[in-house]
Amino acid sequence: MNQVERFARRCERERSARNQAERLLEEKSLELYHANVGLKQLARDLAEKEQRSSSILDAAVDGIVTVDEQGRIDSFNHAAEMIFGCSQKEAIGLDFSLFMESDEMNGGSIGDLSVGVLGNRTMIREINGKRSDETIFPMDLALSETYLGERRLLILVIRDISQRKQAELERVKMELQLRQAQKLEAIGQLAAGIAHEINTPTQFVSDNTSFLQDAFQDIKKLCGFRHRVIEAVEADTLTPELIETAKAVADDIDIDYLHDEIPEAIEQSLEGLRRIKKIVGAMKEFSHPGTEEKSCIDINQAIRSTVEVSRNEWKYFAEMVLELDPALPATPCLPGELNQAILNLIVNAAHAIEDQAEDDSDSLGTITIRTLKRDERVEIKVTDTGCGVSEDISGRIFDPFFTTKQVGKGTGQGLAIAYSSIVDRHGGTIGLESEIGRGTTFTITLPVNMASVKTG
Amino acid sequence: MKKRILFVDDERDLLNGLRRALRGQRKEWEMTFVGSGKEALELAESNPFDAIVTDMRMPGMDGAQLLEELVHLQPDIVRIVLSGQSDKEMVMKSVLPAHQYLNKPCDIDHLKNAIIRAFALRELIHDDKLVALISGMESLPSLPSLYLKLVGMLQDSDVTVRAVGEMLAKDLAMTSKVLQLVNSAFFGLGRRITNPVDAASLLGMNVIKGLVLSIGIFSQCDQSKLQSQGFSVDRLWAHSSKVASIAKRIAVAEHAEKSVVEDSMLAGFLHDIGKLILALNLPEILQQLQMASQDGGLAGLHHAEEMALGTTHGGVGAYLLGLWGLPEGVVSAVAFHHDPGALPDAEFSALTAVHVADVLANDDASDGYDFDHDYLQRLGIEDRIEAWRQLALE
Ligand SMILES: Nc1ncnc2c1ncn2[C@@H]1O[C@H](COP(=O)(O)OP(=O)(O)OP(=O)(O)O)[C@@H](O)[C@H]1O
Ligand SMILES: [Mg+2]
Repeated sequence: MNQVERFARRCERERSARNQAERLLEEKSLELYHANVGLKQLARDLAEKEQRSSSILDAAVDGIVTVDEQGRIDSFNHAAEMIFGCSQKEAIGLDFSLFMESDEMNGGSIGDLSVGVLGNRTMIREINGKRSDETIFPMDLALSETYLGERRLLILVIRDISQRKQAELERVKMELQLRQAQKLEAIGQLAAGIAHEINTPTQFVSDNTSFLQDAFQDIKKLCGFRHRVIEAVEADTLTPELIETAKAVADDIDIDYLHDEIPEAIEQSLEGLRRIKKIVGAMKEFSHPGTEEKSCIDINQAIRSTVEVSRNEWKYFAEMVLELDPALPATPCLPGELNQAILNLIVNAAHAIEDQAEDDSDSLGTITIRTLKRDERVEIKVTDTGCGVSEDISGRIFDPFFTTKQVGKGTGQGLAIAYSSIVDRHGGTIGLESEIGRGTTFTITLPVNMASVKTG
Repeated sequence: MKKRILFVDDERDLLNGLRRALRGQRKEWEMTFVGSGKEALELAESNPFDAIVTDMRMPGMDGAQLLEELVHLQPDIVRIVLSGQSDKEMVMKSVLPAHQYLNKPCDIDHLKNAIIRAFALRELIHDDKLVALISGMESLPSLPSLYLKLVGMLQDSDVTVRAVGEMLAKDLAMTSKVLQLVNSAFFGLGRRITNPVDAASLLGMNVIKGLVLSIGIFSQCDQSKLQSQGFSVDRLWAHSSKVASIAKRIAVAEHAEKSVVEDSMLAGFLHDIGKLILALNLPEILQQLQMASQDGGLAGLHHAEEMALGTTHGGVGAYLLGLWGLPEGVVSAVAFHHDPGALPDAEFSALTAVHVADVLANDDASDGYDFDHDYLQRLGIEDRIEAWRQLALE
């Protein structure tokens, strides 16, 4: 190969190398250009995404806060600002425990809360938060964690539930008031009935006593004559006139009548006093002052005293038959509430019988109350021979304020109250069977076992 | 003849108690005791009673129903409720048919006196038909203008009980009925009330509404009918108010006790209520009486009343008010307002005030009405007449 040839080849090589390099350059700059364009797009996308998520964050109604492992606030959305009354600027970097009631964390930080607890799960808790003006409010706190590279972040979703809580409180309060109102009304009505049940024996006890007082005066008079007769006999001055007068006195005061009536007056007075004593005792048992906790009671006895205090409500319409199982175990109850529920059933039964009875008829219906133990439950059945509950309303009778009675006779709370105390507060059941024109049986069951009783 | 009294109660023991406790009356009273309204009616049908004392709430027929039926069967019977119920509804049901209401437990002497008093009042009136007419009255009619005003008032939610009471006080019928109510033991007040304003505030707005609007204890009188029979309701009302106000001023001037002052005013207002009763039931007789009094003055009226009725219009009014249990001082003042000397009293009383006020209110009529001078002399206050006359003019 000659020199020229070699040179020419070298040139050729160089040219192609340059071409190659140029092509490469061109290629690379094109790549670069594309990369640049992509990057720009990416940046735009990213910014958009960022914008979107932050506006989502800010539009969210729940407060969303992220904190680092030391519990320092990393982000704070608009809702969080509203909830805590603190701007994002002020909040970022602060320890989140500042926004909680101090005893919630036991002095620790929010970070501690989640260590080892969370994994991928979300934890939800109801805790008390603290606004920047130091007011305390209830909030639902949902806690989850995430990793940004190596950095562990906690995500806190916060919901202010003070309004819901307030509403709940109001509801409970209202229910309590309703229950109280019904109780008061029932007591008012009972009081009138009880007064009557006491006034009647009081009337005849006092009448009998006033009779005994008079009778004693008469007997004293007779004794006086007897004395005079004896003296006259002893002094041997007895005259037929004296005997006649003594006889006349005996006739006048009607000694035979007194002889028969005095023992009866005493017996009936004692009976009247027993009646008064019984109702006063039942009243005490019925009202059960101050027992707001469940205690094991003798249900049969509770029924007896409730029947006693409500006597005036039913005695004009019905006879009461009690078939109480003597082997009934002591049952955990809120005695006042159980009595109230039974009372409501008795009053309803009396009304149903009154409704069924023909005007002016002297014949009475029957209310039967049975108790028995079945498995781990105590059953109380209140049966009446009244008008019955028709199919179309039987689904509604437990609803508050559902009534078929006229104003003044019923407000439709009796069964609603009975339901809430038996079912909600005793973990029992209440149901009915009924036949129109024949009568109705309400059945209450109560768990006997303390453990199976939900506390109210 | 023994008075026949029927006692009704569904409690055997209670009847036994009453029977024993009233044993002291066995020489004056023939007492029968039954356990239900049905039995009571059956007995009353075959053999009339003079008085009935009944429980209110009983199985089957209640006391109110029983009395309603008895009123038709035997209007002249004295009707007393002895009830242990304090239930307002029950009370209201018997407001019309019962003359008096007593509460259990009731002192036996109180019950005894209520019956004895009712029988004694009956002695005021000798004519059995008249007794039946008065005893059968459940209420008296009111002046229509006042009645309508009252009904209007009760529908206005802003009206005060006091205003209602003042309204009641303007009407003879309302005043007497409302006082019957509050003085009954049912309302358990245990003190006597003679003022309709007090009565209204004791009853309360709701009870008054119930009584007036749903029970209908008041009614309107047919003024034009009475007018056509020559009886002016307006004049009676005007005269009654005048006598009430003069009687009160006289009692005050005589330094009478507060209760006497109140009785004087009430008795003054109600003293001629007998005329209303007669106008409603026996219009022809009232017409005769009015003619007689035009011809012969007071003496003529008295004579005519005795002839036609066997009593005076005072006796007629007093009998009804007494049956209704209004205070005794008021009842005797009404009974004897034309003839106070008939009572042995020697002290100033509501009767004195009403008698004097009635004469003074009639002063211009120059129809021979004059003071019972002997009576005023007996009380040693005849010299006060001039002073009273001045009072009446004020
Ligand atoms: N034993 C029964 N027989 C027939 N109907 C009944 C009986 N018990 C309840 N009812 C029906 O159920 C309705 C609701 O009863 P509930 O006791 O709740 O209210 P109420 O008796 O009407 O009023 P309240 O008990 O508040 O005085 C009654 O109005 C009645 O129609
Ligand atoms: Mg009920």
